[in-house]
Amino acid sequence: MTNRDFWRGFARNKGAVLGLLLLLAVMALAAFADILFPGDPWEMATAPFQPPLSGDALLGSDMLGRDIAAGIAHGARVSLVIGLISTAVALLIGVTLGAVAGFHGGWVDDAVMRFTELFQTIPNFVLAVVLVAIFTPSLTTIVIAIAVVSWPPLARLARAEFLSLRSREFVQAAVTTGQSNLTIILRQILPNSLSPIIVSASLMVATAILLESSLSFLGLGDPNAMSWGYMVGAARTMIRQAWWMSFFPGIAIVLTVLSLNLVGEGLNDALNPKLARSRG
Amino acid sequence: MKHRLAAIHRLVAGGLLATALALPAAALAVLSAAPALAQETPVRGGTMNIIVQPEPPLLVLGLNQQGPTQTVAGKIYQGLLTYDQKLNPMPSLAKSWTVSPDGLTYTFKLQENVKWHDGKPFTAKDVVFTTSKFLVETHPRGRAVFSRCSSITALDDQTVEFKLKEPFPAFIQAFEVSSAPMMPAHIYEGTDYRANPANATPIGTGPFKFKEWVKGSYIHLVRNDDYFKPGQPYLDGIYFRVIPDGVSRALALESGQVQQTQYSDVEPFDVPRLRQLPHLEMTTKGYEFVAPMSWLEINHRVKPLDDKRFRKAIAHAIDRTFIRDKIWFGLGRVPTGPINSVVKFHDPKVTVYEHSPDKAKQLLDEMGLKPGADGTRATVKVMPMPYGETWSRLGEYLKQALGKVGVKVVLESTDAGGWSQRVANWDYEITTNFLYQYGDPALGVARTYISDNIRKGVMFSNTMGYSNPKVDELFAGAAREIDPAKRQEMYSEVQRILTDEVPVVWLLEMEFPTFIDKRVKNANTTAIGVNDTYDDVYMTAK
Amino acid sequence: MLGLAQLFAGRLVKAAAILITIVVLNFLLVHAAPGDPAMVMAGEAGAADEQFVAQLRAQFGLDRPLTEQLATYVGKVVQGDLGYSYRQQRPVWDILWERLPATLLLTLTAFLLSLALGVLLGAFAAVQVGRWSDSAITVLALLAYATPIYWTGLMLSLLFAVELGWLPAFGYETIGAGYTGLDHALDVARHMVLPVVTLALFYMAAYARLTRASMLEVRGQDFVKTARAKGLGPLRIETRHVLRNAILPVITVAGIQAGQLVGGSILIETVFAWPGIGRLAFEAVLQRDYQVLLGIFLVTSVMVILFNILTDLLYGLIDPRIQVAR
Repeated sequence: MTNRDFWRGFARNKGAVLGLLLLLAVMALAAFADILFPGDPWEMATAPFQPPLSGDALLGSDMLGRDIAAGIAHGARVSLVIGLISTAVALLIGVTLGAVAGFHGGWVDDAVMRFTELFQTIPNFVLAVVLVAIFTPSLTTIVIAIAVVSWPPLARLARAEFLSLRSREFVQAAVTTGQSNLTIILRQILPNSLSPIIVSASLMVATAILLESSLSFLGLGDPNAMSWGYMVGAARTMIRQAWWMSFFPGIAIVLTVLSLNLVGEGLNDALNPKLARSRG
Repeated sequence: MKHRLAAIHRLVAGGLLATALALPAAALAVLSAAPALAQETPVRGGTMNIIVQPEPPLLVLGLNQQGPTQTVAGKIYQGLLTYDQKLNPMPSLAKSWTVSPDGLTYTFKLQENVKWHDGKPFTAKDVVFTTSKFLVETHPRGRAVFSRCSSITALDDQTVEFKLKEPFPAFIQAFEVSSAPMMPAHIYEGTDYRANPANATPIGTGPFKFKEWVKGSYIHLVRNDDYFKPGQPYLDGIYFRVIPDGVSRALALESGQVQQTQYSDVEPFDVPRLRQLPHLEMTTKGYEFVAPMSWLEINHRVKPLDDKRFRKAIAHAIDRTFIRDKIWFGLGRVPTGPINSVVKFHDPKVTVYEHSPDKAKQLLDEMGLKPGADGTRATVKVMPMPYGETWSRLGEYLKQALGKVGVKVVLESTDAGGWSQRVANWDYEITTNFLYQYGDPALGVARTYISDNIRKGVMFSNTMGYSNPKVDELFAGAAREIDPAKRQEMYSEVQRILTDEVPVVWLLEMEFPTFIDKRVKNANTTAIGVNDTYDDVYMTAK
Repeated sequence: MLGLAQLFAGRLVKAAAILITIVVLNFLLVHAAPGDPAMVMAGEAGAADEQFVAQLRAQFGLDRPLTEQLATYVGKVVQGDLGYSYRQQRPVWDILWERLPATLLLTLTAFLLSLALGVLLGAFAAVQVGRWSDSAITVLALLAYATPIYWTGLMLSLLFAVELGWLPAFGYETIGAGYTGLDHALDVARHMVLPVVTLALFYMAAYARLTRASMLEVRGQDFVKTARAKGLGPLRIETRHVLRNAILPVITVAGIQAGQLVGGSILIETVFAWPGIGRLAFEAVLQRDYQVLLGIFLVTSVMVILFNILTDLLYGLIDPRIQVAR
């Protein structure tokens, strides 16, 4: 598939274009947070409980006089970084296990699939809460917890792809020429099974951001990182006094997750054009 | 010597005065504490609803002394004494008491016609069993106090004599219901106290009897018709309602579904709103016995925290008035030193640390801690107490306030179990903490600062590792000294030393809001406030 | 009928194996935790000396070797004893048993509501494909799918409870009102509206999207074309042929997502002060109540397995031919 085909496929989905623009805006906000809102977002810059559009706080201030807008801008970094890294870790776990299972088949496949099933049975948010709580909240534990609960669908997907590609002629040819299993997996099968994995991964970033915000909402965020979930969680009990404290960070989450979902769909349309057409 | 005798005289006289007051005791005591309320004639009848939160694990006060347990079980069980809001002893199960001139013998006369809820008489034998056997096994504070006795004897059915190994004037502060709840000997003697099946239906002497406990919902106590004070209690019963959610608790209070909340039932941020309500009275009195003091606990084993200039710099860097007003929404008093101002022997004439980032920077400069390229002079780890939002906010504030003077704070988060484990095992740099002071520095203050109490693995000990022989000597001397004037001198000196060395940075003399419906009269009149018996509480119709 | 029984027997054996693994896994997990429960209890008593802490450890078997504790625990679980909560001084099963009905009521209602509404909306959108109502449903579903449920909950309670005062903002029933019979049921139902709608909204969005996509896909298949050629009415084709086939993948996904529904109840129960095991889970984590936490894991996993069996039954109802699928 050429680049032009890809973009044409992507651009046919208007939602995806809108999503991409939104996502770029959020990324810009994260990148330029220091310029837009210099200094520390934890800084008690103004009087507590300032409503939106008041003097020096565009979106209002919280109970300690911290600027909500600054928090949202700096929180964008935390959300995006955690979303991306935990997805990468989940990909590593999921694709590796799926590849091994699908390529080897037999008892290996069986064992891996039982293991995957086990993880799918444990309610995944409960598991994430427990993991973060036990290993104390920090960026690392949060990323690991999200990855640990997110990999099973990727493993299943990768396994299915590998299972079907393994019997294809080009793979069989590689086997007869005596290439090693690892080379075959990395050189032959993986590149050909990439597009569904990319689509799932882009949707998973959105899920990861939601998961992170939910953990932070429960007070299981990294105490040194200003994140959107933390802001909503801290504002929960103040909702009668200051609705803006929970409203705006929530909007930020919705827009970011929405943009990622839209982009994911666009990728799907662009990378799997046949499927896209059949869906009308 | 003359001085000393005079002091003893005063002590004994205090006891005699209490004896004289004993007959109309309850009424008079209440009169002195809340003169306006006692004017009306009490009305019989009515049921009170009180919040209890979190739900107590069990109600046998001798086995469990968590806050919520005390509030409920304080109506079922009684101690020998209770205390007025200036912490002077008042009769409860003891009618009168005397202290020998050498300060070694305490003799209590018990009230007459007191019966356990199962009808058996309460006698001196129960007191001896409780203090010499039960509490020393089950109650850490009780063990510390009653192990100071060389003998505890029942002189007759109504008289108990405690003989101390050495003078300990704080002894008289150790008889309220949570420190020494009287337990029935006929039920517990010779049994495994914790496994006794009777623990499910607590038997005390108090004005209210255990009726029913629907777990997760309510505990119902009913009037004890055989209570030893004729005509009392006035209420038919009390429901303790379990409401785990803070917002729901505030709503229950607002709508009149409950008539009382205490301790941390109402979140600080709800207090300003609720105190505006016309049907409620808010007070922060009634916590004089617990007198909580919060501080920044600093591990002296970590550099540069071992340098008192660094600790002073921290004290100057934070604005405690801001903390009180913005984080605790106005609840609490800014402390001067280690002893809460409502506790005996508090002395305000000490070194005070005003909010001054400049002074803080100056002290850090003196230490040679110059700002680096990013303005950082030092990095410390702060682990806020995992006891709810207010403490998290405080952690966030500290990060900012210390950051302004170049001390970078890394916040560590933890859960209740991890927190106490790490603090007890000295595995922390700075944390927040608060301790109750129990009416006397010898009971609730000395334990934090004396080097004898540096005990690894033990919570609420001297976990900072602070050690100063002079401080040890003063605390030990003051605990033994029976002349109040000399005690005051020693405690004043100790307060001056401690405020100069800042072993911890005192943050707030915490106040808890108690909300009581205005229809309820006579509630919350003593130093143990909501944990008292409520045998004289009544409700008016409107 | 034999096939169905065999299917269930197989499922049960598999479920048992998974549960045992979970028990062992969870046991190891919570014992990796840094907190010492004896210390927490001692702390809450207001004082702690060595003797007291040692006493508590011995009382709750915390001084035994780890393998011994594990063996004791697994042995007891097999006998239906989930252990004893030292924190609450009550058997774990009693604590869970009290909380379970509230959570089941909440999640089951939300599950059925989201499935019914999701399929309905999705089918409607598929029939109306390309028109404004299709677009409206699609946009709504996209938004609902991107919104964190705790935030939806907060905003709904801000609007309907705080501002408009139509519905109670939290709790399970009116405290101290003493309702009985029908009044009580209505009272609980009023309290249920916001948490159920919040929880259902998110999953409804997922099912609506899936139903729409699935129906569009089925429509293009040969047997539908055949049906059309036979001259069957459009309504009959859409319901009998398209929807019936399109709904199967939706139910499969619903079964898999049931676990997340249970997890989501932690958030919903926190926001709405709903007295179920979701709240209990969070409280237990904060209090390091190992035994309760282990119990919740087990019970939520059992719930997921039950939800899976429930969806299997739904599957069977809709398509009696499929019995030994998956």
